[in-house]
Amino acid sequence: MNAPRKFVKRRRVIAIAAATAILGGTASACSSSASGGSAGSGGGSVTVGMSTSLSGSIAYLGQTGLQGVQLALADLNAKGGLLGKQVKLVSADDDIKPATGAANVRQMISSDHAVAIFGPVASSIASAEEPVAAQFKVPIFFHTSNDISLMTKTFTPYAFQNVPNTIMEPRAIADYLSKQIGSKQITIGIFAPDYSYGHDTVDGFLKALTDLHVDYKVVNQQFPALGATDISSNLSALINSHPDYVFNAQYGGDLVAFTKQAEQLGLFKDTKVISFYNWGVLRALKDQAPAGAIGYSRDAFWAIKAPGLDTFVANYQKKFNDYPSDWAILAYAAVQEWADGVTKARSFDADKVIKALPGATVSTIVGPMTIRACDHQAEVPEYIGTVSSTGEAQYGGAHLWDEPVFVAPFQDIALTCDQVKAMQP
Amino acid sequence: MLSTVVTDVVGVLSSASSLFIVAAGLTLVFGAMRLINIAHGSFYMYGAFFATTLGAWSLHAGFWVALIASPVLAGLMGCGVEVLVLRRLYAREHLTQLLATFALLLIFADLALRFWGKGVRGMSAPSVVQGHFRLAGAPVPYYDLVIIGAALLVGSGLWLLLAHTSLGWMIRAVVDDVEVLAVSGVNVRLLYTGVFALGALLAGLSGVIIAPQQAVEPGMDAQIIVAAFIVAVIGGLGSITGAAIGALIIGIVQTLGAVWAPSWASTFIYLLMIVVLAVRPWGLLGSPER
Repeated sequence: MNAPRKFVKRRRVIAIAAATAILGGTASACSSSASGGSAGSGGGSVTVGMSTSLSGSIAYLGQTGLQGVQLALADLNAKGGLLGKQVKLVSADDDIKPATGAANVRQMISSDHAVAIFGPVASSIASAEEPVAAQFKVPIFFHTSNDISLMTKTFTPYAFQNVPNTIMEPRAIADYLSKQIGSKQITIGIFAPDYSYGHDTVDGFLKALTDLHVDYKVVNQQFPALGATDISSNLSALINSHPDYVFNAQYGGDLVAFTKQAEQLGLFKDTKVISFYNWGVLRALKDQAPAGAIGYSRDAFWAIKAPGLDTFVANYQKKFNDYPSDWAILAYAAVQEWADGVTKARSFDADKVIKALPGATVSTIVGPMTIRACDHQAEVPEYIGTVSSTGEAQYGGAHLWDEPVFVAPFQDIALTCDQVKAMQP
Repeated sequence: MLSTVVTDVVGVLSSASSLFIVAAGLTLVFGAMRLINIAHGSFYMYGAFFATTLGAWSLHAGFWVALIASPVLAGLMGCGVEVLVLRRLYAREHLTQLLATFALLLIFADLALRFWGKGVRGMSAPSVVQGHFRLAGAPVPYYDLVIIGAALLVGSGLWLLLAHTSLGWMIRAVVDDVEVLAVSGVNVRLLYTGVFALGALLAGLSGVIIAPQQAVEPGMDAQIIVAAFIVAVIGGLGSITGAAIGALIIGIVQTLGAVWAPSWASTFIYLLMIVVLAVRPWGLLGSPER
């Protein structure tokens, strides 16, 4: 036997080559690829497009959103399609890059003749896609990205949003909290990822508390990096300030890691933590879910009573072997919104669809959804609940929320049309 | 004041410990085979994924089963990779080998998405090591001690293996005198397979160890390989002691950086690597080329 090996004895070369491959390569490991049918509006079918994040840290949001759209279209097609046509889907990965998202959308509209676009995860990408859709006159539906500026500063008549936006979500939580504590004085600790979403959400939350005349004092603020694995020092600083409440703007994996480590340090014993404890996070935490913590969710499927929701949840579970995330539910509803517009307009023509939707009330799996005319924002609520101390076998042992669930109504948490119009171009 | 010091020291030690176990496997494989194995990150991620799957079977015994079974499974994956892919590439340039392991990382990441999906997964620490105790007023999680203990065991185990066994002597000798080793009757092929599998096993072990404290999710493979590679390069590729020192340095920068300048913490780490590469291209404890 032999092991013939030629050594290029230059470790530095190896190290630098490796560094290039590792640091540069993995970031863009997956390039975008379109899949699905390619027929345009000719023949017996039309095409819609969805460019979203299917790789990287927010892939779960993108993937489950895509699954929501896929299921919605399958259900639509099973009932004979739309205006007698089957609806096909082209999808692509945006690699969490605004430029890639915009290029995907352009490609879907010009090559695949997509008649509607379903939006991405990140607001930065959404704001790159919004003008492309307007330029090509195709309606775009945002169901995950929720920046208020999409419907205000950069509003176009082709854009629609059916997710509680960055004003509504923190206001809903503040609203809930003010009802809980009344006139009592409280101390608050802040924990949020160190980028625009984290800071904006925290600012929005504190401003909403002030507007509601809540007597609060921020005793500690921690902004660890997004995806940071070592948060022990942040956590101990937070815990040592002994806040009554902690508002944590993390989500997904970061929130799971925070919860596990905070639990080991005993944070949940004397402090009420408020965070995005929705399906994906609670499923991952299982029996480590912090009982008594306050969770919010854009659509907590287990807490909503709406005709058709149970069937949707069962079908989704059967098809994807998972329960629907907030993002899957709102993506499904976004397809229903578009389909309703097409049906009302009796046409796939974008200019007719975007005239049919404003002011209309669409029936969706989470109940009737009114599209506000002034900013095309769907009048949706935010859901807030308390994490249960008992697991539910039906949901793989996940600890969901105890009854009753607080529903923050749209009218209480959204900006008024006058406020919105003042911000629009 | 003292409690802050305790918290920071424990934080540094626990993050350095988990980094060390991953980096030790990476640097061990490089030391014996002159191979930078980017798929090392995959073994780490699979170790954690195996653990969450095994952990879900039994809520209480799950962790202990996973602690044994996941590293073994990762080691078996390593065996497969060495025998089926890498063995054919030893005669090629280093860059080819590097690209092959990079391709493997992507393939394993894709397979993991198919098996486990894109969501976050988790597992619980066994109840005996849940919670915390107080030291100088600072809460210290019991589980941090588990992580630190595991790193000490791995470190001393590797030291015993390399410095005090004939197998260790062969592992150290294979780089310089592969022909001599072969004519003296050592099965070099088997040695390579064994070393590579041991590296994979260590990656898998660290995957299990971090699972109760971190989010287990897709993407953790690429994230850890960057960190482990930096640790190994700073310490000196091939040096286990170097990996320990590198892990400690990165642990300090990560932990303290997270508090003082969160958005700069990762920049500091890259800067540090560049400085070390510029001043001592072979790393702190590595040896320069002859």
